[in-house]
Amino acid sequence: MNVKNILLIITRVAVGAVLLYAGFIKAIGPSAEFAAILEAYKLFPPSFLTPLSVAVPYVEMWAGLFVLTGLYTRQAFFAAASLFTIFLVALASTLVRGIDLASCGCFGPDALSPRYTMILDAVLLALSLVSSNLAKLPPPLSLDRALPKI
Amino acid sequence: MSIQRFIAVTLLLALPPASVYMVKQTSWGPILAAPTTRQTGDPKAKVVIVEYSDFQCPSCAKLDPFIHQLLETYKGKVRLIYKYYPLTKIHKNAMPSAHAADCAALQDRFWPYHDRLFQTQASWENLSDPTTSFMAIAQESKLDIPKFQSCYADPARVAVIEQDAEEAQARQVSATPTFFIGDERLVGQVMASDGARTIEKALRQ
Repeated sequence: MNVKNILLIITRVAVGAVLLYAGFIKAIGPSAEFAAILEAYKLFPPSFLTPLSVAVPYVEMWAGLFVLTGLYTRQAFFAAASLFTIFLVALASTLVRGIDLASCGCFGPDALSPRYTMILDAVLLALSLVSSNLAKLPPPLSLDRALPKI
Repeated sequence: MSIQRFIAVTLLLALPPASVYMVKQTSWGPILAAPTTRQTGDPKAKVVIVEYSDFQCPSCAKLDPFIHQLLETYKGKVRLIYKYYPLTKIHKNAMPSAHAADCAALQDRFWPYHDRLFQTQASWENLSDPTTSFMAIAQESKLDIPKFQSCYADPARVAVIEQDAEEAQARQVSATPTFFIGDERLVGQVMASDGARTIEKALRQ
């Protein structure tokens, strides 16, 4: 196995695990807690808060699972990159607008400062974009390689 | 798409909802009785609001006037129970302020003390020792000062606060203020946008 493939596997595990954990920890908690954190961003109308607080954790978990198992790997990495971009923009907008978030809500009640989360998001975004490019051929140890397309 | 891929996609899509369904807590622990001194509103009211709050939390202070307004609007229809949930990891004076408020509760002056703590939050939240501020509030709230001092010096009172905090944690409360109106949970400023609607819904039930 060459270096490129080893890196691809490490990236899949890192990106997939972070998304899975972040989604799961929010999904098993009360959605009202996450809705309150979303409200603090002052980006969404009140009627969107509850549906978003329920949907976002599942989207994260699905993206994480597809990246981790390597099924439709490129598309999954693209979805992951889109999520990280949205999170980065939302967090950056709070800094620009002077909103002091105690917790970004990214990992549920575990308070991780928004600045650290932005760094983590940026790293994962870069990894997802690079990996999306690398995964043009079915990556090793993936469902893309194991399952026939047609 | 091959049948194998279709099955794999279906399984991956089904896995998160299924695992969340198995793990997610859907009923919360019981709300233990709180002393009547920390309750306000009609004791026979149909709707009971339970608030988990921290005196050093800015959102709690910001929302306090709205809660007063809500209690006024639904006079005779709602009762509010206050529960201590000092977020001691991020608010160094959360526990001392709750302790002081509990000493006021022992003299049946919890609510005036509660209001003044929120109104003066900015003046004591960063003090290394807020005792002088809490004494001043005790005087303003017409408390018996020697009794207040002896209570404030008694660390045993902290157990009452910790009991409330444990209850909050058992109910998966992680932010303040968190309100329960029946089974509905309203966190932070969502109370301002949805509180009246939730009370109306509870009154209709």
